[in-house]
Order: sequence, then structure tokens, then C-alpha cells
Amino acid sequence: MKLHVNRDLLSDAVSFVVKLLPQRTTLPILSGVLLDASGQTLTLSTFDYEVSAQTSVPAEVATAGEVLVSARLLSDISHRLPHEDVTLETNDSTLTITSGQSTFVVYTMPVDEYPKLPTVETWSGEIDAEEFATAVTQVAIAASRDDVTPVLTGVELTVSGDSLTLVATDRYRVALRTVPWTNASDTQEISALIPARTIGEVAKTFSNQGVVSIAITNGTDHDMVAFQAGGKRVTTLLIKGNFPPVTRLLPESVPNFAVVKTTDLIDASRRVGLVLDRESPLRFTFSLDGLLLEAVGSDQAQANEQVEAFLSKDDVVVSMKPQLLIDALSHVHTEYAKLGFTTTDNPNKPGPVLITGQLAKDQVSDDNYKYLLQPNLLLR
Amino acid sequence: MLKSDGSVLVHADGGSYKPLNWMSPPCTLTTMEPDEELRGLGVVELWRVQHAKTNDLLVISIFEILSDTSHELGIDPGLLKDGVEAHLQELLAEHIHTLGEGHTLVRREYPTAIGPVDILARDASGGAVAVEIKRRGDIDGVEQLTRYLDLLNRDPHLAPVVGVFAAQEIKPQARTLAEDRGIRCLVLDYDELRGNMTEDNRLF
Repeated sequence: MKLHVNRDLLSDAVSFVVKLLPQRTTLPILSGVLLDASGQTLTLSTFDYEVSAQTSVPAEVATAGEVLVSARLLSDISHRLPHEDVTLETNDSTLTITSGQSTFVVYTMPVDEYPKLPTVETWSGEIDAEEFATAVTQVAIAASRDDVTPVLTGVELTVSGDSLTLVATDRYRVALRTVPWTNASDTQEISALIPARTIGEVAKTFSNQGVVSIAITNGTDHDMVAFQAGGKRVTTLLIKGNFPPVTRLLPESVPNFAVVKTTDLIDASRRVGLVLDRESPLRFTFSLDGLLLEAVGSDQAQANEQVEAFLSKDDVVVSMKPQLLIDALSHVHTEYAKLGFTTTDNPNKPGPVLITGQLAKDQVSDDNYKYLLQPNLLLR
Repeated sequence: MLKSDGSVLVHADGGSYKPLNWMSPPCTLTTMEPDEELRGLGVVELWRVQHAKTNDLLVISIFEILSDTSHELGIDPGLLKDGVEAHLQELLAEHIHTLGEGHTLVRREYPTAIGPVDILARDASGGAVAVEIKRRGDIDGVEQLTRYLDLLNRDPHLAPVVGVFAAQEIKPQARTLAEDRGIRCLVLDYDELRGNMTEDNRLF
């Protein structure tokens, strides 16, 4: 194999395929990147039996061929090459990388031991890349970070007709958003449970690529989802198990609600929360005078703050962990936020709070973003 | 049972876990031939265990030796605290709100002159709380906590100290004694603590 390629294109391509590789793999061969030169293209691929990444860059191919080398090493090298013209040439069991006055000789790994990447037969549809990236960030925040229950570490993606819905939960909160998409196949409703970290990374990387194509293969042995944009492709196996049916927890309507300025409430929650440890809830009292935040229970200090808020009906007192509220407010992307209150039979146990965006004091946001949060029991 | 430090213990065939009779070291064991009268009763060997510093004497009449083995066990590693109990302490310390809202942790294994208290905490109004943690809460545990509370309440910086007896399962007599002494009983759900959850703010 022998080819000439542009340094920046190469370095960008290697960074992409390496991004999703785990830090430490059990099989050394899985730390490699497969380089395949043919025609006028150099294709780079990585696969660890769960997640695969692939991209192609234009190259002047003198001799076609394949080679497998350490992905991280190639990434580090290609970032520091001095000259933009790079030559790659294989000799027996080495790959020589030349650029300007710099030469690297990297030992190769056996190509035939590297697993074959999954293939994508048909693409299910496509979605605007920026909208997808925003929606994924808004929803993935609610996914669980620990692996006590694997199904909660994923984002459930459901396509139905011309809408695509993303849901995630860690039991304390549920985040949901529905966005429009272009359905290319005539599959009925189909769902895929995708690891939050992977879909997050993919959405972010593809956000400026215009359009993202999505393929979902569900109901076979190798359930997987594939994302493609701008010549880059990622596939991942789906999380096994049933995602809890949390959409039914969302209240139909919230006649009792409060509207606050988003940044005011984020700042106030952070400030008042300073006197308590991260796990302690703050007390939020909504009345016609506005919103009073209080932090009590620390033997070092107490704090309180009054924030302007418009309340629709009845006074409400809720106790919430500030971070769970701040996560919601940081992701509504609107100037105002609406907190909808629900009740239960027990007066000491308030029902979940539904947080949505508000473009203005009396103008609902049109992005269908919903974040449901369960408050703590009130202090006696 | 004869231990390498000289102690001798006699155990029942079943049931109880404490020895029926014993002699603590320093002591000396002498085997003796039974006299005619005892031999007539069936005694084959007498063990005379004399305490070195007092007049304490234990005489054991052996009727039948079914097995006589000895084992070198090497250096005594000391008693390791039960895994689950130590973990319960760790979990409760991490989720101190299980004691109640507004509780904060002061420290684990708070030292006292008679041994460490599992957890010392402060409640929402700043009052001191001493917690004794057990897997199975029985009367001995309540007595132990009572001793700690007596001692801690003599410290003007801490008093008044209230007690919480926390266990996965609390025996009825232990609970009666505890509540009679103003000690709160708290049943710990190990799985729930380990699952990192405080029930009240989960959606499902």
C-alpha cells in the first residue's frame, strides 16, 4: 500500500474514528485503526464489536492495500506532522509515515484478525443535524450515569411517521423531545435504545454536517443503529432490555404553574445551594409575591433569595435538589421557563413538576421539550 | 477445645454459641488417671485445669474420646468485621439523609473511651445523633448504644446526644428496650441503600 494524503484531512479522520474507542480494550487488536486505500480514497475504520466508526478522505493512491496500526499512536502522530503532504507506505510488517523531514515507522497488526464492520443495508430516514444535536443534548442529560440498571443509561429513539422522539430517564427525572424528520422507509413505529454517551458524541460531531441519516435494525440478532453524515458513519449495538414506559408519567395538562426567567432561577438556585451539600434539596415557595428559595439544615449557614415569578393559581411549596432543576433550566433554551405543578392524594407529597420552555411570559415554546422531575418530601 | 494460649472451652452438642464452661489463660492443664470410683462410673481420663493467678479450678471428666486432633493455625489474624455490617455503615454514612431530612455526617467510627461509635451525625437543628449499626439488632446492641450515649452525654460540646439504633432487622425485645430508653429504632434496607436511592424523589 502506498499513498499521499493531506495531513489535516488525515488527522481529522483519525480523530473521528478514535473518539468513540474505549480507553482500554481487553483485546489489543481492537485498539487499532484499519486503513484501506483504493481508487482515490483512503478509508479509516474502527470497531470494538459494539461501536464502529468509519470515514473516507480523498488520497492519491499509488498502490492499493490495507493496514492495521495503533489508532492512538496514528492519531498523535498525524496531529504533529510538520508538513501538509503526508506519504503512507507499508513494508512487510511496518507502516512508514513521512511528512517533510519527519519519518515514523509504526509496527502493524495482522489485518485478517480485525473484525469486519457491520454493513448498513437501508437508511430509515434523515434529520436536520443541528436540530438533532440540540435534541440529543436536551434529553441525554436525564440518562443515568451509573450502570446499576443498564436500560436507564440509554436514550430511547422512536421514529413514527414524520416525527422522531427521544426519551431518557434516571428515575429522578424524565426528559423528552419530539422533532420532525424525513421518513425514507415505510416501517411503522420503531424504537432503538442507544447508549447515551455514544448518541451524544455522534450528535455533537455531526451537528455541523447539515443532515444526519439514521438506520435502525431492530428485531434481529444484531440490533443496531447507524448514523451517517458528511462521509462519516457510526454504528452501535442497542442496549438490551425494556425501556420503562415513562411517557405515561407526563401529565396531560398543568393548570397550576409558575413562569420564571430562566437565568434568574438558575443563578438563584446555584447561589442559595452554596450552603448545602450537593445532595440536599432546596425549598421553593411559590406565591402571588413570587418565588422564595430557601436552604436550611446546614449547621454552618442558611440562605434565602426572592425571585420574580408569575403564579397562575394556587400557592405551592416544593422541595427539589437544585442540580436536577438547574439541568432542566439549562436545557430549555428559552428566556423563560414554565414549572407546572401536580398534586397527589398526600398533601405532604407533591406530584412531579413539569418543566417546559416559554418564549415569553405568555408564549409557550414550540419545541415540545419536556422535563419531568419528582420533588423530595417536604420537611416537617 | 484447647487453644494455644492455654484456654480450655467446653461446648454443648447443639444450640448455644457460647461455651458452657471454660477456663481463661493463664492456666495449666494436667491430665490425670481417674480413681477407682470414677473409673467405675465410666470416666477414662480427668483433665484438671488450674488458673495460675486465682484458685479457679475446672475439672473435666472425659468418658469417651471420639476424636483428638490438633492443628497449627499460625498467627491469629484478629476478628475481621462482617462485610455487610461494615458496608452498611459506609452506605448509611453516604446517604445520611436516611436518618431524616437535614441530617449531616460528622464522622464514622467516632472514638470514645469505650470504643468507637459507628456514626456520629447532626440532625436538622444541629443536635448530635449517635448511631449504632448492626445487621441484626438485638438487646446487646441496645446496651452497647446506651453505654456510648452515657459517655457522649458527659461531653458538654456534644450533649444532648440522642441515639439511633439502626439494623437490617430489629428483635422485638431490643426495640422495646430501646424505645423505653428514648432511643429511636431505624430499619435499614440494604438493597435500597446500595441502589443509591432515597425513595421520596424517584418518579418510578
